[in-house]
This record gives sequence, C-alpha cells and structure tokens, in this order.
Amino acid sequence: MKTNISELRKKFGITQEELAEKAGVTRQTIISLEAGRYNPSLLLAHKISMVLKQKHIEDVFVIK
Amino acid sequence: MIGKKEWFKRRKYAGWGLMPATWQGWVYTLIMISPLVVMSLTQVNEIILGAIVVWFVIFSVDMADIMIHVPKDERDSLHEAIAERNALWVILAVLATGVAFELAQNVAQGKEAFVDPVIIIAIIAGLIAKAATNYWLDKNN
Repeated sequence: MKTNISELRKKFGITQEELAEKAGVTRQTIISLEAGRYNPSLLLAHKISMVLKQKHIEDVFVIK
Repeated sequence: MIGKKEWFKRRKYAGWGLMPATWQGWVYTLIMISPLVVMSLTQVNEIILGAIVVWFVIFSVDMADIMIHVPKDERDSLHEAIAERNALWVILAVLATGVAFELAQNVAQGKEAFVDPVIIIAIIAGLIAKAATNYWLDKNN
C-alpha cells in the first residue's frame, strides 16, 4: 500500500512523533506506514486521515 | 499498584516479559530483585523467607498488571503475536523431537518407553489455552 502520509505531514507541519501521539501509535509505526511496509487497520487508517485533515481515507492510503 | 506501565517496554530480543524503558523501571526492577541478593548474601530464617515470598507474590501480581497494560499499538501487537507463534512452534518442534528421540533410545536399549508427564501436561495445557482463546475470539471478535 502506498501512502501520502509523509507529504501531508509536511504540508501541515506535523512531525512523525506528533502524528504518532495523536493517532495513538508509536513513531516506528508511522515510519513503517510511510515506507509502505505496514498495512494499517481501518480504525488506524481513519484516525490518521482525521489527524491529517483528510475526509477520505483513500486520499491518504492508496492501494497499489 | 506499585509500578507504572510507562516505565517498561515489551522485551523483544532477549526473552519474554518486560524491559525497563526509564530509570524508574530500572529502580523498580532492582527493588524487586533485591530480596534475591539478601537471600544469597545472608542466612535467612523462616520469618525472612516468608516475607520474601510475600514480597515476590506482590511484585509478581504488580508485574502481571503492568504486562497487561504496557503500551502497545496494533503493529506491536501483530509483531508480538507472530513472534510468540514462531517461538511456540520452535519449542514444540524441539520438544517433539526430543521426546521421540528419548522414546526411540529407550526402546532400542530394551528399557521401558517413558515420557516425562510434565511435558505431556504442558502440551495438553497449551492445547486447552489455544482452544479457549479461539473460542473467546470467535465469540467476541
């Protein structure tokens, strides 16, 4: 799965640590998500999309 | 409860249980194991031994509580589950090979075919735990 987390994070000036805290996960999980190594649960994808102010999950997570 | 979950992290690379993540965690661990030092350095009477047993019961319950509540996100939980499953399969494979080898050796030497009942009990207990877990997960998840 490809994600736009890194780009959106930079756009809103959020660090990996801040995003991790707001989404209730570790920074390591954010790193794995950004690298496309980890497929999140629907709940986590939803939380991250909300933190990154995106209405649609597919704007953040793109199935390749 | 005595310890705080934030003081510890999941032990990943050196066994099971918890590992101190902060200086408070290290202090807690040192205090917890201090009776062992006392026991090894001095001669303990029944009263001190009783106190040490109570000490360990209290800290064991506290540690169990911390282990349940230690912060873990979904990726950590997934990794833990896969690692534990792999560890269990390796343990089972080694146990089964060992038991088969001992049985074969005993039979070859004309001895009675004997398997340590503790091993059988451990496997049955694991079987029950797996069935109970699957039952609970099917009902609630």
